[in-house]
Amino acid sequence: MSAIQYLADGFLIALQWHNVIYAFIGVLIGTAVGVLPGIGPMSGVALLMPVTASLTSGLEPEHAAASALILLAGVYYGAMYGGSTTSILLNTPGESSSVVTTLDGYQMAKQGRAGAALSIAAIGSFIAGLFALVALVFLAQPLSDLALQFGPAEYFSLMLLGLCAVSGLGGKSMTKALIMTVTGLLLATIGIDNVSGVARFTYEIPNLYQGLEFLTIAVGLFALGEVFKSIMENDNSSTPVIKVGRILPTAQDLKQSAAPIARGSILGFFVGLLPGAGATLASFFSYILEKKWSKTPDRFGKGAIEGVAGPESSNNAASGGAMVPLLTLGIPGSGTTAILMGALLMYNVQPGPLLFSDHPQVAWGLIASMFIGNVMLLVLNMPLVKVFAKIIETPPHFLIPLIIAISVFGVYAVQITTFDLVLLVLCGILGYYLSKNDFPLAPLVLGLVLGPMIENNMRRALTTSNGDFMIFLTKPLSLIFLACALLWLIIPLILKWRGKQVVINEEA
Amino acid sequence: MNRTFDRYSSICFALVGALFVVESRNISTSAYGSEVGPNMFPLGLGLILILLSLRLFWESSRKTAGDSASGNVAQLQYKRFFIMLAATFLYVFLLEPIGYILTTFLFLFISFQVMGSKSYLKTTLVSLCFSVGVYYVYVNLLKGTLPGFPVWSGM
Repeated sequence: MSAIQYLADGFLIALQWHNVIYAFIGVLIGTAVGVLPGIGPMSGVALLMPVTASLTSGLEPEHAAASALILLAGVYYGAMYGGSTTSILLNTPGESSSVVTTLDGYQMAKQGRAGAALSIAAIGSFIAGLFALVALVFLAQPLSDLALQFGPAEYFSLMLLGLCAVSGLGGKSMTKALIMTVTGLLLATIGIDNVSGVARFTYEIPNLYQGLEFLTIAVGLFALGEVFKSIMENDNSSTPVIKVGRILPTAQDLKQSAAPIARGSILGFFVGLLPGAGATLASFFSYILEKKWSKTPDRFGKGAIEGVAGPESSNNAASGGAMVPLLTLGIPGSGTTAILMGALLMYNVQPGPLLFSDHPQVAWGLIASMFIGNVMLLVLNMPLVKVFAKIIETPPHFLIPLIIAISVFGVYAVQITTFDLVLLVLCGILGYYLSKNDFPLAPLVLGLVLGPMIENNMRRALTTSNGDFMIFLTKPLSLIFLACALLWLIIPLILKWRGKQVVINEEA
Repeated sequence: MNRTFDRYSSICFALVGALFVVESRNISTSAYGSEVGPNMFPLGLGLILILLSLRLFWESSRKTAGDSASGNVAQLQYKRFFIMLAATFLYVFLLEPIGYILTTFLFLFISFQVMGSKSYLKTTLVSLCFSVGVYYVYVNLLKGTLPGFPVWSGM
């Protein structure tokens, strides 16, 4: 069967009425998450993961997984749309991937062109989202066919590459990023060993036999961590919101931004494919590219519409591109996709090459729903952008306690133990202090998700080679992956050593 | 960037690594039919973590000579933070003994006030709607499990 036919089957799933509603709720909440400063896509997805788990508990496992993923992915790419709103109207990015949008977007708003900036951001995101999806549809099958030929040694090296890439670009200090990765991997070893059935680091505490629950740690680190941050640092001062005004862009706006949108889409998709690089990096690259290619570079920073169109398209394309390695190889390249992967694993659906043959409903249903979701987002963001601009005015003193209450409810509903609630709060405190001191959190979550798989593949590979570590170097593909992993760590070091500014990815 | 934090955290991470190294020696060394046992992975990772922590310690002590001007402009609201933290801990520990609705209502009511809500009426309404709403939807419509009212209340 061809990709188109699979996609048509996917649409049958995605168009079931409850999935349409899930997609709608997902993109709606995603837009709100993007609009609200303080909650990024990572904490939004983490926060909703347990909630969707309880919402879908009545469905069959496969359908439940599809519906939950449809909602969570909706939050992810919905946030990419919403993030531009605050950047343009408030000069405060709603999440890190729309930081560059503030440069020209806020200037445009000050000149009374806020509506045009917002609608170009929405149109650019829509086109880029569609482009990334079409590319995903055609790349999915060949990539998973390729990945099916991987043995445990290749998988181990590939996952190591993923971890190194995320750590190499993970934050201001690579040492800290690596520490977080290794800590994540170590935490993943707690519990019953999958291969031998031996209990490790459990100290006869019953709650530990299952291992530390991924969901609890993700919600704690991201959602509660950010809440604690705003409790500690926010002084409730409010900036005046600029009025939106006329929404539709003029013909000249459209003409000027057509090329940047196209370039941003392609660039963003390929940056998104790379592990470790994410939406933030993609938007930075796109801005730099547009400025370089422009005939009048001095207009940038003073309200050039290209400076909004390019980055906003590329961050959306990157979030679509990031789905490719997650779905076809089973390797998340960023914090948010790691959380999506955790959600899939929660439903006993293993992302990877077999996903498309074992669970076509989940894979193609999700892809088809992203088409629908993008259309919904365009509708939500064009005529309704004024309504969303109102969300910015939600008083934080109501929002913050509600986020804590939702986290507690979500974790308790899934785990039903006080142990996990305590772990949740502790992770929140840790998340706040660690990220405040430049310890990136995404690598830890990635390590936690990939830990069991890395270990299993490593041990399977070593079992076939009778404990000889050379197996990772003698298999050509594995050797290539390992070499890339090494390069990914060394090149930023060399660049830094030579005194170059290295662009880093704060939150993907 | 806070160098003191870096230094102490590097020591903490090294201790965590050491703990995993020491404890993994108590796990059986080999699984049946395989040369590599369940202890190898955590043992190796523990060693790597110790090495990385040493590097972080070295980095943090090296920077001491250089930039010392790290002025923290934002004023930190420790009082609010600790009240909220204490409220969250109380919420978490009391959730099972006295039930979801009561604890959630109290937690929200108190924390809305701490965070600076002005109107008592609004605070009461929002906390009541959230706690009762979530409980009703989750337990009655979705058939989930949440601790209801405490047994001694007779409800």
